[in-house]
Amino acid sequence: MELHEKKAIEELREAFKDWENKHEDDFKTESKSFATESGIPIKRVYTPLDLADKGFDYLRDVGFPGEYPYTRSHNAIGYRAKFWERVAYSGHADPVDTNKIWRAQIDAGQTTINVAYDLPCQQGLDPDDPMAEGEIGRVGLTMVTQMDWEAAFDGIDLRKIGINQTLSESPAMVGLANHTILAHKRGMEDNEIVGLLQGDSLKEHLSRGNYIFSPQQGVRLVGDTLSYVGAHLPRYQAITVCGVALSEKGANKIHEAAYALANGFAYLQAAVDRGVDVDQLAPTMMFQPGCDHYCFWEEIAKYRAMRKIWAKVLRDRFKARKPASLQCRFYAGHGGSGLFREQYLNNIGRITLATFAAALSGVQFVDARTYDEQFGIPSQQAVVDAVRFQNVVAYETGVDSTVDPLAGSYFIECLTLETEERVWKELKEVDDRGGIVKCIENGYAQSVIAKDGYQAQRKLESGQTKRIGFNIYRSVGEEQKPIQVYRADPALDEKRKNEIMELKKKRDSRKVRKSLEEIKAIAVLEASASNNLVPPIMGAVAAYATNGEICRALKDVWGGFREAALF
Amino acid sequence: MKQKRIKVMLTKLGLDGHDRGVVTVALALKDAGMEVLYLGRRNFPEQISQAAAQEDPDVIGISSLADAHMSLVPRLMKHLHERGVDCPVLVGGFIRPEDIPVLKQMGVSEVFAMGSRLDDIVAWIQNKCG
Repeated sequence: MELHEKKAIEELREAFKDWENKHEDDFKTESKSFATESGIPIKRVYTPLDLADKGFDYLRDVGFPGEYPYTRSHNAIGYRAKFWERVAYSGHADPVDTNKIWRAQIDAGQTTINVAYDLPCQQGLDPDDPMAEGEIGRVGLTMVTQMDWEAAFDGIDLRKIGINQTLSESPAMVGLANHTILAHKRGMEDNEIVGLLQGDSLKEHLSRGNYIFSPQQGVRLVGDTLSYVGAHLPRYQAITVCGVALSEKGANKIHEAAYALANGFAYLQAAVDRGVDVDQLAPTMMFQPGCDHYCFWEEIAKYRAMRKIWAKVLRDRFKARKPASLQCRFYAGHGGSGLFREQYLNNIGRITLATFAAALSGVQFVDARTYDEQFGIPSQQAVVDAVRFQNVVAYETGVDSTVDPLAGSYFIECLTLETEERVWKELKEVDDRGGIVKCIENGYAQSVIAKDGYQAQRKLESGQTKRIGFNIYRSVGEEQKPIQVYRADPALDEKRKNEIMELKKKRDSRKVRKSLEEIKAIAVLEASASNNLVPPIMGAVAAYATNGEICRALKDVWGGFREAALF
Repeated sequence: MKQKRIKVMLTKLGLDGHDRGVVTVALALKDAGMEVLYLGRRNFPEQISQAAAQEDPDVIGISSLADAHMSLVPRLMKHLHERGVDCPVLVGGFIRPEDIPVLKQMGVSEVFAMGSRLDDIVAWIQNKCG
């Protein structure tokens, strides 16, 4: 579709040259050259000439909301029926304390809970495991059995509030079991259960480091989860393939998007290779990219480019037929590394701007960080405030009034095309190197990310990257600190160990043993379309097997995983 | 005679796997000409002290981000002492200000908490071990 009549473009080009000549002296006063954080140069001004020179085609490159290639939005109406879901990741050690925090967040307008678990739980270890010593409840909820889960969700209406759980591998499947078991106990049908799982094991190998099993076994577990959720839970997301963990690890936005997409395609391919229909799997997948205020424009371009790339790959490579398979949906994770300890209230501005960037990008969830992020895990007040700042953006800016408001901006359309091109380039690099799993095993992707992070740190320390209060306009004298800062009670370790001992006396241990054997019986088999670890894990959770016992059953069959040295 | 390179052993301590900080430090130390041995993640006092006794580094750097340092560092110092490893031990990461003097009393030589600069870490090691 020819939007740019050739004669008009040439006239504009002449007029542009005249403008440049006229303002040469102004241009000389510019202080520096500009680029996005990943290094895409940003021009002084963008005009229709830039779109014409890129061969921009509205229907091919952008399209209408809710139509291929979905650049503008996965759906036709954006936020005009309802806002994105407002979330703030939270959880304190004790399930009862956590329940209070979540209810306060819900009262403040939060619409989905994102459960923060402690490290032992995330790694499939019970509190009485020697490796868990000193770590119980330090960074989130200590969860061992179905009973703990029910205590944490007491009085929270699962019909009204969606639940996201930041877990992967077998703990994620345990979390799925916890949720569905409680929902069923409360009389809910499968098609009423609204939830998400973070669920992305490859990102643990690539960034966060909380993996339990090898990359291949992790991919198998994801395939089981996608397949089960696709078949049984129409309102559940089996995975939110992670970009934010990669950017928090140091990746620039191009590498964040490329490796997250590569991971998503790898999960899908492995499940399809087992014989599961792509249209059963793809609608259960979402992405969890980062949203950082200091990459404001680049974030918007990144999200638009990701929607376009996902749609193309699902249609052309995977031959998906359902629109829901082609529609890339987002759970935007705000990164905490962009927040600072010094003049911590400045973080309120940063959080609000990050939320605004995500909203302009048309995401479905925003999980905001808190202003006390650099002091410890968030206090109750801080997570409530994080929800409130999101609601300011939602209710008070008009960001919901139109779909993809920045579409048509010469700058944003050019930046979207340039971002897309660079992401495709890195995706091809990964493919040429044998795929993302190989790139993780041989450390290629990790070394790219490490280099991005190192460069970013050097720029911050040299002052080239300016952060208010940290390296510019610093405070003199005593710094203001948040009034409440969370710290876990060390006495919790003993309490939890005793609770496990008591539980093991009361439960039907024969039933538990049998359920763990059933897990092992499936785990030894080659992954296929007809075997799936989710049902036996659900059986074990219902029998009050612990998170650690379930993980141990898999470890007995597969072994754990020790990564190769990077240096 | 060729100057021997300073040998630094870096490691995560405990369950936490976030290693952006320690990997960034590793790259800075390598840029400064040091030999870096990174033990990776999920290492505990026993493994670290065993590796240190074997590798004989000039300095050990511990990364701790999940607030488990007050329980794990004393165990580490005990194991190092038992194996006769007496090089300086540095701790970095998410360390609350009130914990710093306590860690130093345990024998930690210096703490590089939030906001620490790469050049300061490099300079400390060069001064102490160069």
